[in-house]
Amino acid sequence: MAIPQLTIEQVQAVIPSASDIQEIDRGGQKIVFSGIIDGRKYAFKFMAPNPSQVGGQNSEFLDDVTSRAQREVETMEQCSTPHLVRMGPIGLNTTDIAGDPTIYFSEEFVEGENLRSFLQSNGVFSVSELVRLAFEMSEAIKAIWQFSKIHRDIKPGNIMRRRDNGVFVLLDMGLVFDLQDESLSVCPVGTPLYFSPEQMDFNNRRTIMNFRSDLFSLGTVMYEMATGKHPFIKGARTTWEVLGNIANATPRSPKELRPELSEKLSDIIMRLLAKRPALRYRSIELFQRALREVESEGGVQ
Amino acid sequence: MSILAQCGYGRGEKIEQGLNDGVIHGGIMSPRDERKDRLEQAIQDWGVSHPNAFVMFDPQFYAASLNNPRDGHLNEFDYYGNNSGLGRTHFSGTRIQGYVRECIDYQHQTFGSNVAYLISPTILFDSFRDSWSQISLNMAVESADYHFGLDSPQPLLISLVISETAFQTMDAVEEFLDAITEFDAQGFYIIIRRNSASLQHAMESAPFGRFMYFCHVLTTINEYEVIVGYSDWHSFLLEAAGVTYTATGWYQNLRQFSLARFQPTSGGRRPLKRYSSTPLLSCPLINPELQDIHLANLLPRVLSGSNHDSIIQNGPAAGEANWTDEISCLAHWYSLNALSQRLSALPTQAARIQEAELLMQNALTLYTQLGSQNVYFDPMTGPDHIREWRDSLQEFRALAGL
Repeated sequence: MAIPQLTIEQVQAVIPSASDIQEIDRGGQKIVFSGIIDGRKYAFKFMAPNPSQVGGQNSEFLDDVTSRAQREVETMEQCSTPHLVRMGPIGLNTTDIAGDPTIYFSEEFVEGENLRSFLQSNGVFSVSELVRLAFEMSEAIKAIWQFSKIHRDIKPGNIMRRRDNGVFVLLDMGLVFDLQDESLSVCPVGTPLYFSPEQMDFNNRRTIMNFRSDLFSLGTVMYEMATGKHPFIKGARTTWEVLGNIANATPRSPKELRPELSEKLSDIIMRLLAKRPALRYRSIELFQRALREVESEGGVQ
Repeated sequence: MSILAQCGYGRGEKIEQGLNDGVIHGGIMSPRDERKDRLEQAIQDWGVSHPNAFVMFDPQFYAASLNNPRDGHLNEFDYYGNNSGLGRTHFSGTRIQGYVRECIDYQHQTFGSNVAYLISPTILFDSFRDSWSQISLNMAVESADYHFGLDSPQPLLISLVISETAFQTMDAVEEFLDAITEFDAQGFYIIIRRNSASLQHAMESAPFGRFMYFCHVLTTINEYEVIVGYSDWHSFLLEAAGVTYTATGWYQNLRQFSLARFQPTSGGRRPLKRYSSTPLLSCPLINPELQDIHLANLLPRVLSGSNHDSIIQNGPAAGEANWTDEISCLAHWYSLNALSQRLSALPTQAARIQEAELLMQNALTLYTQLGSQNVYFDPMTGPDHIREWRDSLQEFRALAGL
């Protein structure tokens, strides 16, 4: 499906209250601009729906792009935690731009650095940063799971650290999966490097996917932020091989790669990476309790 | 961990005596085997006389899906009497809601804080992948939801009645664990349906090792409380796996669960009297097995150390007449409780597993020594069951990475 081909002038025409509009990102299905409304900076996301997918524009069923946008907006509206990106002043809208149907909405613009950039430039997190990241992302996962939803795309590129206060914020709820919504597609989506084993299990996912899948992805991120290495890339030359490793390989413990980490923190990360959901944490509260224990002990050997 | 009394027909004063002796921590009541008014009165009385006792009420709803069960007094309980004779088609969502509501309401309203937990109704299943297991999961989900809305209820245990054959397939065990570790409950009350009603101490080694792993994932990993009913000598191995409480009773059908408990009985003679020996991890016949050990001057090596030993100390055959059912039961609880205390005193799971291995090794050595003194045992006494247990423990250690 095509990304909308938009100019700054076209965006200005659609959102006349915005100023200083700039293109900031162009992804697989969307184009993102930044702009200022009432003195605050926001991100504007534009997507092209795919009416042919469900039998034309007048179909009562929604195409995947529109469904995901709806879920993204709905999730931002439902969840109130400082660790999830918030809705902006413009809700979900549709418009025609140069004859093409386009959907758009706004969300807060998080000033800061995403973890992917951090990894590329600085290496690894300190223990206290790791624990803070884990705790705050678990708050985000909990907030989403409160509505029986899972994020499905937790990865360094979707986690921002705010420049002003260091708070971690989880972005991009576009792939949020609602376990209550029987109409939604269960095709594998997300970023394969951060998939959980059950995210690849096409036949069984609806029954076993829950917040513990997001915990696995968080475990992959924590492993990377602790060691500077992805737990499942070693020896893999293709995405399929990485997926095979996610399903079957046990990575070396973070402590082996970074000896000053405490056994407890290393064990927590490895537990998040357990192949079976039952071997991770059955509640966010148990996970957070384990983190507090690490915190109280300093997290280093 | 502590031992609970698995109650059934012929309760008498055994529970009070066991509580007074400190060999049990409480009991699991059986509505099949007692008049409703008596059962309710007993639970109320224990709330006064033994306020720290750990009392549970197993609703035994699973009997409702058995074919013409011999269900005794269960029909006096409305949650069962209104719903017995259930086939596969009687478990729609609405009906399950009704069963759950009736069963949990009865416990909540009748027993209040005199029971430690409310127990969810369930049905028996043979495979983790059959439709009955799905019904069981649906009942569990419904129970957790209903319990959530109650006003100040006792904590909820999800009950599961599983055939030992279900543990043949590890993939299915893991899938089921993934599903049940989503439950918002205090824990689980689990009964394993044995294939044979005969006196086989040990389940097959691989399935039992997987069941130990099943309990380990629920308790040690996920911090649920797990109570395993009808567990008998398996209790010390389950303790090593992390189980919170195990239960066993006085008759064979209260030590191992099989469907024979709910089927017509053809009568039969009284079972031969047995002695519960902690060192042998088994119950040798008082006569001739224990008597032969006595004649070989090895009796002190197999005694468990309870006060009741004095009855047989000077000759088991001579003391047999005084070895009553009640004493036999109390001595059995004493033996299992001693094992439990020994393991629970150890600080780590690794140490408990090591201790369990040591207990089995010592028992096997003792059987060998007795054999060299021409003491022979009925296969039902041992020691083959210990070899099965050792294999089970190996299986468990491999699965749990311990």
